[in-house]
Amino acid sequence: MYGWLWRHLPGPFAAKLVIAIVLVLGIVALLMFVVFPWLDPLLPFNDVSVDN
Amino acid sequence: MTGPGFGDQPTEVFAAVGDSAAAGDTAVREKPALAPLGKGGVAIRTAGEVFITLGVVVLLFMVYEVWVTDLFSAEKQSVASDQLDGDWAKDRTLHPELVDGKAFARIHIPSFGADFNFTVQEGTGENALAVGPGHYKGTALPGEPGNFGIAGHRVGKGAPFNDLDNLSSCDEIVIETQTDFYLYKVLPYDDEIDGWSSGKGAEPACKGVSTLRDSSVAGGGPYEKTFGRKVVLPSQGDAVNPVPYQPAGVLPKAQQAALLTLTTCHPQFSAKQRLIITSVLTQQVPKSQAKDYPTLLTKIGGAS
Repeated sequence: MYGWLWRHLPGPFAAKLVIAIVLVLGIVALLMFVVFPWLDPLLPFNDVSVDN
Repeated sequence: MTGPGFGDQPTEVFAAVGDSAAAGDTAVREKPALAPLGKGGVAIRTAGEVFITLGVVVLLFMVYEVWVTDLFSAEKQSVASDQLDGDWAKDRTLHPELVDGKAFARIHIPSFGADFNFTVQEGTGENALAVGPGHYKGTALPGEPGNFGIAGHRVGKGAPFNDLDNLSSCDEIVIETQTDFYLYKVLPYDDEIDGWSSGKGAEPACKGVSTLRDSSVAGGGPYEKTFGRKVVLPSQGDAVNPVPYQPAGVLPKAQQAALLTLTTCHPQFSAKQRLIITSVLTQQVPKSQAKDYPTLLTKIGGAS
């Protein structure tokens, strides 16, 4: 999977590296700002109140 | 590899690096040594990569829960705190309306440090709790007879109630409203009830803290199930009833003690149970006598 991705990134090694880093950061940002905030309330870790 | 063989190694390596053609040759010659992956091999490798990726995502989620939510909540808390100060400065009504998710009081716990303070929001919904501790709707208000119930996060989201299990009986919890400071003290723990008045209850720090038990009634009366610290199941909503763990209406309001109950998850990182800390009102200091919290601390003996 990663090998295939790497082969399909355009440009020389340096360009591939930069694109790869940007992609990774973008995915991390997507997780941190969109996916995790959505997921968080659906999971029980943060239940701190008693059923009132 | 044996010791002497390893000792011989450096000379060979240096020779190879010096001769670039030779080094390239080795690389070219080594590559085909790997057997080419068949379809099954590629599938297994891809599955492995997917699993490793999912593992990294789960780790990232943990980082998010424990640290990143702290950053988001710190920002929200700071906004709420500024807004509360603003509201208090301009509005002098005695009983400000409670608006969902909006701060109306501030909680200080001196034993957690003089700078420990969070705004208390109305409601225990997820949005209110992302800002700071939240007031159980319908429970008493600061200083009122009954039970002023507050829930707060223990891990992430600013973790206001992270150290709740470090509280001991008689530790102070201060609730600040627009006009007053209400000083609550944690009630005696389970193992301290017997002989409280001659034991720890006699210490100066425990002035005003009783077991709330009625010695003329077998068991101790309506407050027989109330302790300073208790671990209960999440379904036990009666922990924030006017008289804890008793049906509403067991005592007329005038006879109820003014309590403050803090709830958070227990054990840490789990949602299996709830940690319940219950304290009793011992003193009310109007802001005309102590204009701000540092002044109050010097009056009551400072943070420990």
